[in-house]
Amino acid sequence: MGGEKLALSKRTRAAALLILLFIPLTIALGAYYYRVSPYQLSGRIVYLISAAVIVQSMIPFLLIFEKRKPQARELVVLSVLTALAVAGRIAFFWLPQIKPVGAIVIITGVCFGGEAGFIVGVMTAFVSNFYFGQGLFTPFQMFSFGILGFLAGVLFKKGRLAKKKLPLCIYGALSTMFIYGALVDISTVMSTLGEITWQGILGIYLAGIPFNLLHAAGTVLFLYLLADPLIEKLDRIKIKYGLLEP
Amino acid sequence: MRDTFSTYHPLITFTYYFAVILFSMLFMHPVFLAISFLCGLVYSVRLKGVKALKVNLTLLLALIIFSAIFNSLFSHYGITPLFTLPGGNKFTLESFIYGLVSGTMLASVIQWFSCYHKTMTSDKFIYLFGRVIPALSLIFSMVLRFVPRYKAQIKVIADGQRCLGRDMKSGNIFQKARNGLNILSILTTWALENAIETADSMRSRGYGLRGRTAFSIYRFDNRDRLFVIILAFLIIAVLTGAALGQNNILYNPAVVMNKITPFSYLVYAHYAVLCLMPVFIDLLMSLKWRGLKKVGTGYSLIDYFKRGELWAAKN
Repeated sequence: MGGEKLALSKRTRAAALLILLFIPLTIALGAYYYRVSPYQLSGRIVYLISAAVIVQSMIPFLLIFEKRKPQARELVVLSVLTALAVAGRIAFFWLPQIKPVGAIVIITGVCFGGEAGFIVGVMTAFVSNFYFGQGLFTPFQMFSFGILGFLAGVLFKKGRLAKKKLPLCIYGALSTMFIYGALVDISTVMSTLGEITWQGILGIYLAGIPFNLLHAAGTVLFLYLLADPLIEKLDRIKIKYGLLEP
Repeated sequence: MRDTFSTYHPLITFTYYFAVILFSMLFMHPVFLAISFLCGLVYSVRLKGVKALKVNLTLLLALIIFSAIFNSLFSHYGITPLFTLPGGNKFTLESFIYGLVSGTMLASVIQWFSCYHKTMTSDKFIYLFGRVIPALSLIFSMVLRFVPRYKAQIKVIADGQRCLGRDMKSGNIFQKARNGLNILSILTTWALENAIETADSMRSRGYGLRGRTAFSIYRFDNRDRLFVIILAFLIIAVLTGAALGQNNILYNPAVVMNKITPFSYLVYAHYAVLCLMPVFIDLLMSLKWRGLKKVGTGYSLIDYFKRGELWAAKN
């Protein structure tokens, strides 16, 4: 990736601007309306504001990606991986929660870096919801899958994650259960509960545990099956065509 | 016949849904909610035919009832306890009503999103965002193309493997599974190699060079301008009504709402017109079309929705 350091600093700057300026502004606006609006609106406002914050936190990543004018080869390879993940989600529509999306996103992050993982995660959630239905939960899913791929890439780069089956499966289980599950359940909490109470939140999170466990199990299963062959194929194409390398 | 609102400029479609979905989400007054829900129902019947009525009513009613029960099991505010739950908490009327209301809100948002899904197709989305985020829009459109392409290619690969006796129909269950995975593995390799070819072909055709333009079939004409003016007027009218407290309602501790005055009816009417705009436009066009064709005498609303269904079945 051309100039990883430069990209990182640019992203940091854009992210800093958003985090320091726009996100607090959004939250302040939300807090204001939260206070002045009748109480039954509060849940809705929290939902809208959190969706807006999630979208804003994705913007720096996406802008950096746009700014560096990615080459055709890179774009097409990312599209292929996204298409495979989307097709995988469609092919396994009959098995609740057991989907190869998380596995493919994590493998992309490990092979092509955090940014590629983030883009594939975000785009997979976004495009596949054109088949399954969009909603306010879409930004939550996009961000969560994006972070799964991004973290996988960063951890691999730092040497904390190996390109091997076992570490990937462990990372996949933990990240789908605790990062994806926790983030996406926020949207369930806010769409289901009229008034946000601790008992309600606890109820939703408890009700979500079986689903998240199934999702994590699915990711582990697909990582176990896909990790070695897919990593081999991606590395092969990287070496053969000199793809996505500095 | 094709839905007329779908032929408007993508910017208009996007703005319209943004406003209506936001209003449906924020207005918790039962009248506003009922208007939004019913208008959304009418439009989704227009878009998807009469079968949408069955699906929407059964699934969404179930959702509303579930939401009411869930809310009253976890929230116990209100001054009208109906009975005591096994845990010792009160099951209150207010909490139940609020559950019904928020369930209706969720149902109408889902309904509007399903209409959005039918009218704001992916090509319109790409047109709208292609300038702002060109690389991501390109990925988006390529993914939409690749998914059906891979489905077709899987068939080609499976046919080839069958000639070697290695398809999904031969051997015991383990061999079948292994053959299936093998087909997917071949597909992945093919997809990656094919991607490089596509990319090289894009490069040789000048992808990313300065001065390249993109083809689009959308044009912002007078019809769209008129729509924008009416839409702006209606949105301002509804927002004024909201600012003057027409949709204020309390559910805690008791259900209290503003008195309904003639002005309230005016605001309700504006909101209903806003939510029905796509249907009105389409009806108007349909009548115009019939006037031009000058055929048949009996034409009722039922015929109108039946035609929508025929169109939905064809597409």
